Amino acid sequence: MQRRPAIVNVAILAVLAAAVVFAAILISGGGDGDETTATPTPGAAAAQEAEKLYAGIPQNGIRLGDPDAPATLIEIADLQCPFCAQYSNEAMPSVIEDYVRTGKLAYELRFRSFLGRDSVRAAGAAAAAADENKLYEFADVFYRNQGPENSDYADDAFMRMVASQVPGLDAEKVVAAADDPLSQPAVRDAEEFARGIASTSTPDFFLRVKGRLTKIEPEGTAPADYAKAIDAALAAA
Amino acid sequence: MTLRRATAVLALAGIAIAGYLTWVHYNGLEPVCVGGGGGCEKVQASRWAELGGVPVAVLGLAGYVAILASLALPEEIGAAAAAFLSLVGFGFSAWLTYVEVEKIEAICQWCVASAVVMTALALVSVARVLRPPGAGRGVSVASP
Repeated sequence: MQRRPAIVNVAILAVLAAAVVFAAILISGGGDGDETTATPTPGAAAAQEAEKLYAGIPQNGIRLGDPDAPATLIEIADLQCPFCAQYSNEAMPSVIEDYVRTGKLAYELRFRSFLGRDSVRAAGAAAAAADENKLYEFADVFYRNQGPENSDYADDAFMRMVASQVPGLDAEKVVAAADDPLSQPAVRDAEEFARGIASTSTPDFFLRVKGRLTKIEPEGTAPADYAKAIDAALAAA
Repeated sequence: MTLRRATAVLALAGIAIAGYLTWVHYNGLEPVCVGGGGGCEKVQASRWAELGGVPVAVLGLAGYVAILASLALPEEIGAAAAAFLSLVGFGFSAWLTYVEVEKIEAICQWCVASAVVMTALALVSVARVLRPPGAGRGVSVASP
């Protein structure tokens, strides 16, 4: 039997290789991923709730509430963490209304980035929102739209969708920060802070009174559990 | 240097590069980038750093190891396997380079180095397939 010319073999290999590469590009979402993987924008109700919750409360970077509040509640969280989302959606509104809006506490929100690449991108985006004093609204909307852990959902389209629901927040700055999270000082600061106080899980809560930190350990996840733990820590301070 | 030896040297270089990027990925470290600029971190943190949930660095490492392993096969089959794998690697590297420039707007020097190695491997592997039957181990290419 006559041998096939080598050049034909190369052509066949090249066609097969091109098919594999094409399939790989399709799997990865393609080069136009920014546009084609856009997450559907949910209703505006969630964003309105977030805006209403934080309306009228002073916000400065990662801090929320009266700068002269006698104590500060520090939350160490990860935007990818489902328990953090549960706290944000179910208990945090009561903490904000009962303690922060009333001036009993200031709030400090520090986002770690240790659950994976989506965490790092989310922390970068959150840092950009903090720069514009919109961290709390951004986090609230993010949590309400949180995707499955480490599923690469926190892409540019997702960040743009979340940021665009926060009035006054520059969505493109948020997207740029998500793409370059390690250039955001707040991302490294949060990691260093958490390591410095031996915080190993999220959400983790501490009460700071006159520079002294007390760990807050609620017995459950209901708003009343948080209120009880905060009251106990305030009484002991 | 024979084409087989060139394949081995290039595959080992690719294993070193992809192995380093894999190690960096799983240890949560930042790749050392000559001149700084953060290009490597930006590329590593992008959505294109993984394919179907598998880090691209791991895919590259697997590809280079497979190309090296193909040298253990009979010459005709091994050359065809190496050519196929390196052409896939070349195509994917070309696409990733496009993504770096156009989408991520950052260049990772390690990725560029891997793309250069993979391109050289594709050229050498295709040359192995194209050479006349029986040319065997005597065929040489100029050393860089």
